[in-house]
Amino acid sequence: MDASTTIRADLLTLTSEQAMMLSPYLWVFGGTVLAMILSVTRAIQPRLPVFIVSVLTALVGMVVSLGLFAADRVMLFNNMMVGDSYANFFNVVFLASAALTMLASFEYLDQERLQYGEYYLLVLFAALGMMLMASALDLIVIFIALELMSLSVYVLVGFRRADRRSNEAAMKYFILGAAASAILLYGTALLYGATQSTNIRDIQAFVQSQSGGVSIMFTLGAWLVIVGFLFKIASVPFHMWMPDVYEGAPTPITGFMTTGLKAAAFATFVRIFISTGYGDGLPAAIQSHMHDIIVVCAVLTMVIGNAVALTQTNLKRMLAYSSIAHTGYILVGMIAGQGSEQGYAPVVLYLVAYAVMNMGAFAVLAILAARADQGLNLRDFSGLSSRQPWLAFAMSVFLLSMAGIPPTAGFAAKYLLFYSAVQAHEIGLVVISVLCSAISVYYYLRVLVHMYMHEPEEGAAPLRPVSVWAAAVVASMVVLTVQIGTLPAGMLAAAKRAVMSL
Amino acid sequence: MDISPVFFYLFAGLAIAFSVLVVLKKSPVASAFCLVVVFFMFAGIYALLDAHLIAAVQVLVYAGAIMVLFVFVIMLLNADSPSFDLGRSHLGLRVGAVAACVVLLGLFVYAFRASPLQVPPGALTAAQIDAAGGNTRVISRLMFSEYILPFELTSVLLLAGIVGAVAIAKRKLGAPEGTA
Repeated sequence: MDASTTIRADLLTLTSEQAMMLSPYLWVFGGTVLAMILSVTRAIQPRLPVFIVSVLTALVGMVVSLGLFAADRVMLFNNMMVGDSYANFFNVVFLASAALTMLASFEYLDQERLQYGEYYLLVLFAALGMMLMASALDLIVIFIALELMSLSVYVLVGFRRADRRSNEAAMKYFILGAAASAILLYGTALLYGATQSTNIRDIQAFVQSQSGGVSIMFTLGAWLVIVGFLFKIASVPFHMWMPDVYEGAPTPITGFMTTGLKAAAFATFVRIFISTGYGDGLPAAIQSHMHDIIVVCAVLTMVIGNAVALTQTNLKRMLAYSSIAHTGYILVGMIAGQGSEQGYAPVVLYLVAYAVMNMGAFAVLAILAARADQGLNLRDFSGLSSRQPWLAFAMSVFLLSMAGIPPTAGFAAKYLLFYSAVQAHEIGLVVISVLCSAISVYYYLRVLVHMYMHEPEEGAAPLRPVSVWAAAVVASMVVLTVQIGTLPAGMLAAAKRAVMSL
Repeated sequence: MDISPVFFYLFAGLAIAFSVLVVLKKSPVASAFCLVVVFFMFAGIYALLDAHLIAAVQVLVYAGAIMVLFVFVIMLLNADSPSFDLGRSHLGLRVGAVAACVVLLGLFVYAFRASPLQVPPGALTAAQIDAAGGNTRVISRLMFSEYILPFELTSVLLLAGIVGAVAIAKRKLGAPEGTA
């Protein structure tokens, strides 16, 4: 028992199951180090090798995680980390998002003269941080993984160093993000003081054992941790950083942020949320308390996100506000999770669907962006259907999906999400969500109107040639969007399995 | 009478005061030196908590090595003058910020006064640590067994930080950005 004088032997060795479960993480880290060595090797021109090694690292890691999806749960490192279907499901999402981001970036970086190996390294580091976040069971590990992810993304946001907007975005994101991390850390410290543990499972056990309600210290700690996460998912009232950051970041990185970063923050939030405030066997007082916090945030997020998106003319900024709005829908799903038969599976499915359509949309934007990310205003999209018919078609699919129109992924995901909210008797919330969703159709369709019904602007800059990599990304995302939209059962079953393993 | 509360308030108060100075000072060198004082105060607080190893490491690594590097870099870069004029912030904003701080402080004071802090002693009381061979030994054992994952991840985090710093600092501004 006495941890101070003896070391448990099982902490110093890895069983074969544990080593197996760790293989995607080790693989990604190893690939990152290899790419790092390649990028500083003077004997070769590192541009292509670093790119290929990084993409292969992410893709193979994804395949390995996919292979581990059906494996049984394995506890790792003194229960600080867990390898379960949930973690592996999200590992696939993160690594796919990282690989697609890198593929979509290659040509873009050449055009912007930003082709540095560090870019790919940082994307891989961020992906590793996300993977660790989704599988961490300990608040300390979650914090370190969160920092690993955030630190890499801060730098990526400011990667266009000569550009003032990019600098401003990185600076804003860094300062606000650091403040949010500090809040999260302070909450962790308070939770440790109140419960004697930083492990989520132990905290859950502690709360379940407290029949007479928890101390104020616990409540305060939980509040601060929740605020930290609400910041990371950019829920109103902690969303102020998002539009500027999304607008200033290089376009493929904005895509990476809406897909990987958001999914990672939500994956971790759901894991903590279920155990610290919403899981089975917790006192009703805590549940209703959490319920109220999330309901207020969800409603504000949906209404403000959609309302402000209506007035945006820059597409990146519009998608940033739409991203805030989607955060609101996902929060609705989280509230409903406990009371519906599908549980949290619709939330996971929505995250995947959202990641797919955003990845595609930002890949299109990265192709269309003129030098220094100019030319992403609404009028630059006028008559796109005659200039680039295929890109216009792909963009319409993604926008229709975001608006939630069948037969796209957005519709299937939204339908399941709202249906689970109805089952959980959250009728008021569903009405607000559907109304907000209806409002959002306006600003998504406005882009379509510009693309298909307006003439091209006089003297519009010639478009860049579309690279093979970026075209492959866009095409595969179109296929996935339609596939999830028409046959959501397979993805839903996977999501359900992932959630069941929690 | 136990004297440590007096020292705690002394160290904590000075730490907060100098942290505020870090933010308010116009000159980066002055800010850096205020930060050194903050680190020393933290070391004092750690020592009060019987965490002597952490206190020593705090002084050696943070106040010593890292801050010396900081100050060197600031001086070598000749960044002693503020690079931009912040201007005066909006009065309402400042009042709001101060009010928010006061409200938060009040909330915390209320919370800690209202909640009886009956925290049971954990597995590692001072007596147990002495019996197990002292602070350093216990920390090293724990760090390389129970807390091995956070320990290793911190190295990965630092590696990512280095790559990030290189990515930002390596390129020359103004020069045409080409392939690396």
